[in-house]
Amino acid sequence: MADLRVNLCGVTLKNPVIPASGTFGFGREYHEIYDISILGAVATKGLTLRPRAGNPTPRIAERRGVILNAVGLQNPGVEHFIAHDLAWLKEKTKVIANVAGETLAEYGEICARLNGLVDFLELNISCPNVKCGGMAFGVKPGSIEEVTAVAKKNCPQTPLIVKLSPNVESIAESARAAERGGADAISLVNTFTGLAIDIERRRPVLANNTGGVSGAGIKPIAVRMVYEAARAVKIPVVGMGGITCAEDAVEFLMAGATAVQVGTENFTDTRACPRIIEGLNTWCDAHSVEALSSLTGTLKLN
Amino acid sequence: MREVIATVLENARIAEETYSLTFACGEEIPVRAGQFCMVGVRGFPLRRPIAICKAEGERVTVCYRLKGAGTRTLAENCKIGETLSVLLPLGNGFTLQESEKKIAVVGGGAGVFPLVAAIREYAAEKQIFAYMGFKNRASVCMQYEMQRGEEFVLCTDDGSLGFRGTAVQAFMESVERVRPDAVLACGPTPMLRALKSATAGKPFPVYVSLEERMGCGIGACLVCACEKSDGSRARVCKDGPVFKLNEVIL
Repeated sequence: MADLRVNLCGVTLKNPVIPASGTFGFGREYHEIYDISILGAVATKGLTLRPRAGNPTPRIAERRGVILNAVGLQNPGVEHFIAHDLAWLKEKTKVIANVAGETLAEYGEICARLNGLVDFLELNISCPNVKCGGMAFGVKPGSIEEVTAVAKKNCPQTPLIVKLSPNVESIAESARAAERGGADAISLVNTFTGLAIDIERRRPVLANNTGGVSGAGIKPIAVRMVYEAARAVKIPVVGMGGITCAEDAVEFLMAGATAVQVGTENFTDTRACPRIIEGLNTWCDAHSVEALSSLTGTLKLN
Repeated sequence: MREVIATVLENARIAEETYSLTFACGEEIPVRAGQFCMVGVRGFPLRRPIAICKAEGERVTVCYRLKGAGTRTLAENCKIGETLSVLLPLGNGFTLQESEKKIAVVGGGAGVFPLVAAIREYAAEKQIFAYMGFKNRASVCMQYEMQRGEEFVLCTDDGSLGFRGTAVQAFMESVERVRPDAVLACGPTPMLRALKSATAGKPFPVYVSLEERMGCGIGACLVCACEKSDGSRARVCKDGPVFKLNEVIL
C-alpha cells in the first residue's frame, strides 16, 4: 500500500487524481455511481458570476482517439453553486472551484466571492468556446499575468491555480507569466482548438463550428507541455490531457506534475478515476515506490 | 443508474441498417419505457446513447441504426459472449397519468424503438393507437411488437409498405376519430416539428423523447442541452429525454 498523498500549495490531497472541470458537474451524478470522497479533489464545472446558457447544440463531436466540445460555459452561476452544491461537495473531498469571467473585473469579483470558501480556485483563462473572456485572457503572456494578479489580489486566503491554454506560442512563457502574476500553481493543458467536419453536409459538426479537442490522442503533446511548463516555474503543476489509466498519470507526474486531472475518460469509463487511483497504488507497489509524490519531476532526458 | 459489464446474448440485423442488441446485465434492471442506456464501444471515447426497447429481468434489448463508425463497429465487432460496458437505466422515461387511457404513439425512424417499450409497458392497461413511420419496406422492423394495441398504422415514406407518408400524417388523419388523451412521440427533429405544429391547440398533451449528442449521459457535463420555452436549459440525458412537446424549442 503506497502513500498516494500529495501536497498541493500546502493542502494535502489523499491522492493526486482529480476529475477535470466540465466533465464532472459538481460531483453529484458520479456519486450515484461511486463514492466520490475517494478522489483527491474535484474540479467543478466552470463557474461565472451569473448563470450562462452556453452554446447551441450539437456541443460534442468525436474523432479517432479524441472528442471536441463546445459547451460554452453553461453553468447555474456562482451563487447557485454556493447555495446548493458547495457544502455537500466539501463534505466529500477538496474542492477546486473553476471560475471564468468576461472582464478583468468579473474575474476579480468571482474570486473574491469564493475566497476562503473553497480549497482552491482554478482560473479558467483558456476556454476556447466563448466569444469574450475565457481564452482571450489566456493566450498572451501579458494578459495572463494581468488577470492572474487581479484574481490573486481578490483571493488572498485561497490557493490560486491558473489553467493554461495549449493554444499558445510558448507554454513556458505562459507558465512564467502566471507565476509572475502571483499564481500558487498552474494546471495544463486545457483543450486544443479543433474543427470536425461533417463531409456529407460540408458543415462543421459542432454548432459553434470549432471546439476544444481532448482525449487520449492529445496526451503526448500534453505531457511535453507539462514538462516544459514545470521546468519554467517553481510553483506546482497540475497535469492533464488524455489520461486514461494509471500509467498515463505516472507519465505526467514524471514530467513534473504534482497532481493530475482526468476529463474525457470519465465519459468513456464512468469509473475512470477510482480505477486510476487503484492503478497508481498497484503501480507503486510493483515498482517499490513508497511515496507517489517522489515521482514528480523525475524524468531524465536522453 | 448503474454501470454494468454486460454479456452480449444477441446482436442481429433486423432490417436495413438496423440491429437489435440483447445483453445480460448480471442483475435485474428496473427500466421504465422511454429510458435509455449508454453503450461503450471499444476504441471510441464516447459511449452511444441508445433507447431501451425491452427489459426483462437481467436481459435488456436495444435497437440501433447504423449512423457512423461507432454503430458500425458495434454491429460488426460485438459478438455473442463478448462483454460491453453499459450505463443504465438513464433518463426520466414516459409518465402517463391514470386518467390518460387512450394513448396515441407516433414514431419515426430510430424513434420507433423507445415507443416499442411504451407499447409493451402500457398495452395491457391502456388503449394504444400506434403510428410508426419508416423510410421504406426494407427498413421496417418489429411490427409484431407494434401490433399489441387497438390500432397500428405502418407508414413508409415511399409507400412501399402500408400508409404512404409520415407517421405524423397518418396520426393526424386519425386524430379526430381516435381523440387520444395523450400522445407519446419520438423521431427526427423535422418530424417532431411537424407534430408540434399539427397538434398546436389540441386538448391532449404530447410527450416527446428527444435525441441529442451526449457526453457523460448522467447529467454532469451539460453537453446535451435542450432549450425550453421558458428560456431555461434542460439536460436531455437527465431531465429528459422525455419532455412535454410544448415546453421545448426544437
